Amino acid sequence: MIQKSFMQGLISGILAAVAGVIYMKIYQNALGPDFHKIVNIGNIAGGAIFACMLFGLLSWLLEKFNMLKLKGWFYIVIAVLSFASIIYPISISLPLDIQNPELFPGLVIPMHFFPALAYFTIEPFFNKGN
Amino acid sequence: MKKLIFPVLIGATLFFSAFTFMRSASWKIADGYSIKFSSSDPSGVFTSFKGDIAFDANNLGASKFNVSIDPASINTGNGMKNTKAKSDQYLDVTKYPAIKFTSSKISKTAAGYEATGTLDMHGVQKQITIPFTFANNTFTGSFTVNRVDYQVGGTTGMASHTATDLKIDISVPVTK
Repeated sequence: MIQKSFMQGLISGILAAVAGVIYMKIYQNALGPDFHKIVNIGNIAGGAIFACMLFGLLSWLLEKFNMLKLKGWFYIVIAVLSFASIIYPISISLPLDIQNPELFPGLVIPMHFFPALAYFTIEPFFNKGN
Repeated sequence: MKKLIFPVLIGATLFFSAFTFMRSASWKIADGYSIKFSSSDPSGVFTSFKGDIAFDANNLGASKFNVSIDPASINTGNGMKNTKAKSDQYLDVTKYPAIKFTSSKISKTAAGYEATGTLDMHGVQKQITIPFTFANNTFTGSFTVNRVDYQVGGTTGMASHTATDLKIDISVPVTK
């Protein structure tokens, strides 16, 4: 079971990272801001994989302790935390040599939803019986 | 007539050389200037600065600063704060597109120099004194501005969280 949770976390993390990097490229090409000092391929991939692996670990713990009936609430918590986390890019002050900080939330906020989106999307492939 | 040629030439040379001395006190603002403001909240920079600087340490009477900052160039590092600072709640950059300082007197002090003049911000003109030094072709100064004196923002509601005294640190490299 832990193997299944591990794979779901890893694959969804990779998918979320790919989505994040593609979105960053499109956003930068469309609007031109350069936030590479703060947001780059490394920390997008790291953040997405870490978040999805954490979801996988918590999901495995629910299974291990026979608390699968709480899985719906677990997913609600993931969604709420993803939403709540957008306050960070809105409130953060960037280094002063970075121009157009107004465009920073538009880059980062969608990325905060990619891990949950990827994890939920591939869920049916890993829990066919549930 | 020939007797007059040399006295006229000498006079003309002296006359035009006087302009050379006047011109030598004039400086151009070079890239790499820094106009920072800091407080408990907010802190940031203005990235657009221009003006005329005439400074001669040996002739302070002929020295003068006439400089301005574009308030729309404010960067606090945070998009929401930038938008609010530019809005009519604070700097109102549409109505007041420049923060100007025009010196009326520059004098020598123990630590360097000080420029006394008028700071025109947000439609309010007040006399201030800015202490500064000049070394390695760079003007460096530091002073404090109370935003309420210039009617920039209020002191109640959300504005009460915004510091009233802002420390301004200026570093302006110049070239001839």
